[in-house]
Amino acid sequence: MCYLARMLRLLPFLLTFLLMLPFGQHVQAFEPGTERLRISGFGTLGLTWGGKKDYGLQKEFIHDSQFGSVSILTDSVFGLQVDFNIAKNLDATIQAVAEDRIRQDFNNIVDWAYLSYRPTASSVIRAGRMGIDLFMLSEYRNVGYAYLWTHPVIEFYKPISLSHYEGFDFRYSRRIKPGYFELKVFGGQTGSDINVDSDELNLRMRPFVGFNTSLEDNDWKVRLTYSTTNTAFIKAPADPLVNALNQVPQTLWPQAAGLHDRLKGVDTQTHYFSAGFSYEKNNWVVQSEFALIASRWASVDMTNGYLSAGRRFGSVTLYTVGSYARSSSRPRVDQNQILSADLQDLAIATQNLLNAVHIDQNTVSVGLRWDFHPRAALKAQWDHTWTRKHGGGLLDLKKPLDHDITLNTLSANLNFVF
Amino acid sequence: MHFLAILTTFIIFLPFQVRADIVVIVNPQSNITALTHHQIIDIYMGRNPGLADGQKLQPYDQAMDSPTRSDFYYGITKKPVSAINAYWARLLFTGRASPPKPVADNSAILDIIEKNPMAIGYLDERYLNEHVTVVYKIKRENP
Repeated sequence: MCYLARMLRLLPFLLTFLLMLPFGQHVQAFEPGTERLRISGFGTLGLTWGGKKDYGLQKEFIHDSQFGSVSILTDSVFGLQVDFNIAKNLDATIQAVAEDRIRQDFNNIVDWAYLSYRPTASSVIRAGRMGIDLFMLSEYRNVGYAYLWTHPVIEFYKPISLSHYEGFDFRYSRRIKPGYFELKVFGGQTGSDINVDSDELNLRMRPFVGFNTSLEDNDWKVRLTYSTTNTAFIKAPADPLVNALNQVPQTLWPQAAGLHDRLKGVDTQTHYFSAGFSYEKNNWVVQSEFALIASRWASVDMTNGYLSAGRRFGSVTLYTVGSYARSSSRPRVDQNQILSADLQDLAIATQNLLNAVHIDQNTVSVGLRWDFHPRAALKAQWDHTWTRKHGGGLLDLKKPLDHDITLNTLSANLNFVF
Repeated sequence: MHFLAILTTFIIFLPFQVRADIVVIVNPQSNITALTHHQIIDIYMGRNPGLADGQKLQPYDQAMDSPTRSDFYYGITKKPVSAINAYWARLLFTGRASPPKPVADNSAILDIIEKNPMAIGYLDERYLNEHVTVVYKIKRENP
C-alpha cells in the first residue's frame, strides 16, 4: 500500500513531463475531428468583505481568514487545464490551480493529473490524481463560472476541505427509462494542508473509498454519495493537548481517554453520506444537498445542507440560499470530577478545544449572477450568518465564542473560462 | 412610394427569413437516418447517446455568440444558452467531456459534415443541401 501510495504521488510529475512533450506540435487526433491537445482555463477575480475582529471569515480551510477586512484573495482563483489525447480512447489531463492556500507547493498546485481510458462507450477508468467527487460541485468548486453563487456554500462545502485524491475511479453511464444513469466507484488516498485558527494542519487519509450514483434528465438530477476513509496521519496545532490527554492515567481522570478518542482524529474512521437534487425549468433554478458525516472525531461529526432557489430574468439570475451546519454530538468535560490543579488546567483547555471545534451555524444569502458574455459572468452576493455560542467551528476564532454572533459577508466577482 | 412598398414587404418578411427552422445533419456514409430527441440531447450534452454498435459521432457547434446556437440549445433543452455554457464548463473542468468544436458559420458546418462521416452538426435549414442527411428538425421558439 505504501509503495503504491509513493507511485501514485509520482504520477502528477510524470504526467506533467508527458504533457510537455507535444507542445508546439500540431498532431492529428485519434478521433476524427477532435483536437489532440486542448488547453483551457478558468478564473475568478473577486473582492470579499467579511469577518469580525476576533471571529474570522474563512471560506475554505486552505485560505487565510478575514477579520473585518476586504480581501482580493478569498474568492480569486486561476486554473489551467491541459487535455491530451495519447491514443485511441486514452487521454491524459492535468489541472493546475493557483489560489490563496496555506502551503504553496507543486504538490498542492497540481490539482489533477490522471490518465483516463474508455474501454466502451458507457465506461471510463481513470487513474492518478483526480478531483474529490463527493458533492454536486466538488469537482468544479474552483470554477466559479460553472455555478450560480459567488462561492460554494460555506456550511456545506467548507467541512470537506479535500480537493483531490490519488487513486482510481470507474464510471459507468447509460440512458435508462427515467433518465441518464451514472455510477462511479472510487478508491485511493487523500489529504490536505489547511489553516485552522491561523495554524497549519496536515491531514492524510487512506484508504479513501466510496461511490456515487446519479440519475438525471433535462430538467432534474438526483444524486447519492457514500464514502468512507480513515485518518492515517494528522499534524495539528492541538496535538500537544490531545497527546497530554492520552498520557493521563485512567485512575486520575477516567474521562480523559474518552475525550482523547473524540479529539485525536488519527486512526478514526469517518463515513460520509449525501443526497442532492437539482431542478432547472421555466427559468427556475433550484439545487439542494444534505449530508451526514459520521465519525468519532468530534471536529467532523455533523450534518449539513442547503437549499438554493433562483429565477432567471434574461441574462440575470436572482437567487437566495439557506444553509446550515451542526455538529451531531457535543462531548463535554464532566465538571463534577475532582481533578488535581494540573489536570484542572488540562480539563479547561480540553473544554475550550471542544467548544472551538463545535459547529452550529446558519447562513441566508441573496445574490445575482449576470451572464454578460458567453464566457464570462459577474456575480454579487450578501451572506448573513448566525453562529451560536460555542458553535464557531467553521470560523477562525481568535478568542472563545462565548456568545451568539451574526456576521455579514459581501462578495462580488468576475468569473470567466477560456 | 415604390421604395416604401419594397421596404414594407422586406420588414414583413424579415422575421420569417430569420426564424427558419434548424436541422441536425450527418454525413450519409454514417448510415444514420434519424435520431431521437434524447439522442440529440445526449450527443450535445456530452453523454453517451447509445448509438447502434457503439458508434460515436463528433458534434460540431455554431459560433459561441450565434443566434442559431442559442436557438438550437433552447430547442432541445428549453434552457438559455448561458445555462448551456455553464453546463459545459462543468463538464470540461471535471474532465468528463470536451464541448462540441465551434465553427464559423452554417457553410463551415456543411463543409465539415460533407467531408467527415463521423461528424454531426446543425444549421439553419436554408443552408441545407442534398449532400447531407437530416436526422432531426428543431422549430425555432427561443423567446
